[in-house]
Amino acid sequence: MNTNLIWLVAMPLIGSAVTAVVVRYKFLDRLITFLTFATTLFVLFLAHVGQSYSWTLKFLGTTLNLTLNVSHLSIFMLYISIAFGTVLAFYSLIDNSRMKGFLLLLVLAANNWIFMSNDMIGFFFAWELMGWASVVSVLGGREKEKSRHAALYYAMMSVAGSYSMLFGIFILWRLTGTFSISANIAYLSSIIGGHPWWVLGIVSLFFMTFMIKSGIFPFHTWVPLAYAYSPDAFTPFLSAAMSKYGVYGMLLFLPLGLLEKGFPTAFGVPWTNYIFLWFGVITAVVGTVLSIFQDDVKKLFAYSSLSNLGYVVAAIALFTPVGITAGIYHAFNHLLFEGALFITLLAVISRSGTSKLSEMGGLWKKMPITFFTFFVGIASAAGIPPFNGFGSKWLVYQAMIKQHLIFATILLFLASTGAFMYLFKAFHSIFLGQLSHDYERVKEVPIVGQIVEAFLMIAMIFFGVQPGYILKPIGAIVKSMGLKPLPVMANGYVAGMFSNVYMPLIGWSLVVSFIFGFILFYVSAEHKNVSQTDNYTAGQIPEDWGLTPETYQFSWNFYQPVEKLFVPFFRIKIDGFFRGIGDWTKATGSAIKEIFVGNAQMYAFFAIVGLIIFVIAGWMA
Amino acid sequence: MIVLLKLIQGIGAGALSISIGLLFVGIGRKITARIHRRYGPPFVQNFIDLFKLLSKKSISHGFTFDLGLIAGFSALLAAVVFLPMGQINIFPHNSSLIMILYLMTMAYLGMAMGVSSSGNPNATVGIARALTLTMGYEVPFAAVIFSVYLFAHTGSLTNIVAAQSGGFMNWNLVKLPFGFVAAEIALQGMLGEAPFDMAIAPAEIASGPMVEMGGKYLGFGMLQHSIGLFLETGIMVDLFLGGGSNVWIFVIKQFELYFLALLVNAIFPRFKIEDGVSFMWKVPLLLGIVQALIVVL
Amino acid sequence: MSEWDELVNYFRGRSMWMLHYCTGCGAIELPPTMTSRWDMERFGIIPMATPRQADILLITGYLSIKTLKRVVYTYEQMSAPKWVLGFGSCTINGGIYWDSYGVIQNLDKYIPVDLYIAGCMPRPEAILDAFGKLKKMVQKGEAKGYEKYIKNYDWYKANQDRVFRRTEPVLRKAEEVTKSA
Repeated sequence: MNTNLIWLVAMPLIGSAVTAVVVRYKFLDRLITFLTFATTLFVLFLAHVGQSYSWTLKFLGTTLNLTLNVSHLSIFMLYISIAFGTVLAFYSLIDNSRMKGFLLLLVLAANNWIFMSNDMIGFFFAWELMGWASVVSVLGGREKEKSRHAALYYAMMSVAGSYSMLFGIFILWRLTGTFSISANIAYLSSIIGGHPWWVLGIVSLFFMTFMIKSGIFPFHTWVPLAYAYSPDAFTPFLSAAMSKYGVYGMLLFLPLGLLEKGFPTAFGVPWTNYIFLWFGVITAVVGTVLSIFQDDVKKLFAYSSLSNLGYVVAAIALFTPVGITAGIYHAFNHLLFEGALFITLLAVISRSGTSKLSEMGGLWKKMPITFFTFFVGIASAAGIPPFNGFGSKWLVYQAMIKQHLIFATILLFLASTGAFMYLFKAFHSIFLGQLSHDYERVKEVPIVGQIVEAFLMIAMIFFGVQPGYILKPIGAIVKSMGLKPLPVMANGYVAGMFSNVYMPLIGWSLVVSFIFGFILFYVSAEHKNVSQTDNYTAGQIPEDWGLTPETYQFSWNFYQPVEKLFVPFFRIKIDGFFRGIGDWTKATGSAIKEIFVGNAQMYAFFAIVGLIIFVIAGWMA
Repeated sequence: MIVLLKLIQGIGAGALSISIGLLFVGIGRKITARIHRRYGPPFVQNFIDLFKLLSKKSISHGFTFDLGLIAGFSALLAAVVFLPMGQINIFPHNSSLIMILYLMTMAYLGMAMGVSSSGNPNATVGIARALTLTMGYEVPFAAVIFSVYLFAHTGSLTNIVAAQSGGFMNWNLVKLPFGFVAAEIALQGMLGEAPFDMAIAPAEIASGPMVEMGGKYLGFGMLQHSIGLFLETGIMVDLFLGGGSNVWIFVIKQFELYFLALLVNAIFPRFKIEDGVSFMWKVPLLLGIVQALIVVL
Repeated sequence: MSEWDELVNYFRGRSMWMLHYCTGCGAIELPPTMTSRWDMERFGIIPMATPRQADILLITGYLSIKTLKRVVYTYEQMSAPKWVLGFGSCTINGGIYWDSYGVIQNLDKYIPVDLYIAGCMPRPEAILDAFGKLKKMVQKGEAKGYEKYIKNYDWYKANQDRVFRRTEPVLRKAEEVTKSA
């Protein structure tokens, strides 16, 4: 019995109650949010692996065990999500979007509960709490009408996921009579030899929920809407931390021991995992390709976030040591760089007042710290060593090649080079190029924001150069799943299947060659700085021509030739499929409504028939 | 002590790559001239050009412009030290192929940052084209990497070279012929030679990325091109031509590949960008996949 | 001149990149000069796309006043050291446009010309000869037109402004007319 675990959930709930009272006073609201996050992080220091807490509920004659349990995986996830949340809450002290502190804290409580819960009732309850708190959070976006639509869409998808999970939970409960997650997974694992289709059916009910939450293809449609139209200060948490709940859930259900049970395999992985892997690969490619054509910067990075989760899912679906390591490692890296990128976007949008790429440009002079954080962020997201995104992408490729997955590997490479394209597009359109007259007076974010940005920048470099600090806990997770972890060498190494990389060496090599570059630059002939309008215009004089910085900035239709390449694929609309389901449901619903409100006798008739069915069913059961 | 030794070796490798790269471009200009039935410039012309550029005054569009150009040069220099070049192999345990490829991306990111912070749309159009083309040739090259990784059971260039030791018949060129052809076409795109030179089209977009560069900035661009040429051909030699028993043989093999690229460059017109990408996704990709299937099955 | 400068000048003379500002009919003489018949690349002279990259500005014919404006802008965008080559008689005295109201007669009054090539049109041999001459001048440190331009900037500027004034509209601007009416 470790009562400290209770505080991990209770603390944010108390904080949430307090902030709900002071919601009118924005700064107080944000301050309490930050303090609660910091306290929760402190409480987390007291928790360690193996602790558990259980609480028995008597409810209508049945006993219900609510269990909290700290595993290697959960403590890893708790640390990264709460630490990031604390950083974000610190930034939000100076933020003026319509994010509500108490909702963020409710999500935090749900976050901690999800990661620790070992019973399905608690898990489901926390999942719902998280879902609804985030849906309500999305409502507070800059554009009211659009954020309402986005929230509705998100809520619909969440509800579909919840029903699916609830269905799965009750089937399992009916079969085993217990709600304990670990007992149920052990049960599934034991019957998979005899009844594979049953097990797969139940597990896919859960996986549908997790895929919806992580936005895996074909359930990715809510992601760009919810990310783009949620309050700017909430999006970093939505993208960085909340997309990991699905990954956590998948990791819970993956160790079913399919290989040991002689399950048919494709390329050395069970065929179920093989199919699942393709969902990840398609997500990576679809996210990348769609991201290239976005003009709204938050949508662009929403698709980017999606595509990175595709990498994670593709890697963990392999369920090999290197695959799991790569997946969790990429999940961490994604949290760090995507969080940093969304925080810099928050800074840029709050200062420029727009999220349209075609309306920005040249902001690096005005916001240098934001610029450098963004630069390191996109270098990480593009997987450039020695920044933090490289190691995990590299391990993902190795995991794929190891299993002889030709097409998946090629498509992931495509996604990676495509990532470089959209990242550069965002980079250019926000920070480089011509500075519009509208932004002459833009200033850097306040000092709190600069501290957060600098901190995240240093973190991205640090975890890039010293991957061992992350790979060691991941090794423990892999071990706890019953796999042989990758060898962990000194902190700087990423040990792969095919070769090793010593990251600090790359860092030093870059430093030394930069010193040479600077020396060569300064011994060469001098240069003079000219204004941005003194530019090559084929001899035409800008003033005579009526040239303004806005018209001399290239950011509209940036990758128009690529668009031509992908025209055939744009005809497929996943969104339309879901809308079709929605329309059908609406039609059916109104037909049923006709029955109920049309005639009282009819209503009574249906009620009696329903009652009879219930009675017969109960009698037979 | 070991640090100092490695530092000196690294500087040597950088100097070697710069001089060989510049020399290659110089000889390349001479060869192209001869194909055009011209006399051509002296083969040291590129050194003269570089010296002139570094001593010429220039204009800058601000700090990112400087930083980007320096990064473009330095990051490639940083990548060169990890490349096994004949008997020169400074970090034999740290020569992962994918790592080198991604480190080169840093240089392109730096270059792209520098030129597009000049605020000239021509430069940005050039970069957008270059990135689009990258998406084209990386895909067949991924298939080639896949084949080589599985064939040699290693991802380290050092070990890939070691696996090919013992004569011509052990080279991956013989063992993986389709992969070689695919990689050779991808190399043409990487080098930016015709028919894939749309990024620096002088007549359409005023030489693209180089539009605002003059003096030492253009000199840095030239250095970057030289080192990039050295690295890309060097990777190909390590992958397919069995490295080299010493550095001179390595360089000669590099030159053979560059010579091939030059011949194609001298006689071909330019692709349109989307046609270039779709060509890359048809012929070389098909060859790469065939090779990968042969290796797997 | 110090020895370092001599070295620098020697290499500058061996590598001259030119921007050909093709006005009039002179441009037609350049393709044969560049390609296999005469091949000017053997002297290290290659055409460049923008003024930032170039050392030589080659004016290949007559300049109307509006074009002169662009030429001056282009010349000022080039970095030192830079040289101007006037090509054909139009740049020397206006050529067949000697009495035209819309064309300038002496290019040297507006930007400092280092070397003229006489003829209408000069043949590629003459062009190559001029490049050789310019190379010798550069290597001896005699081609200092860009310094002359800075030193006598006021004079050049006054000359330019005097002709530029002619490009302004004779009638009042449309909006002024409507305003007064």
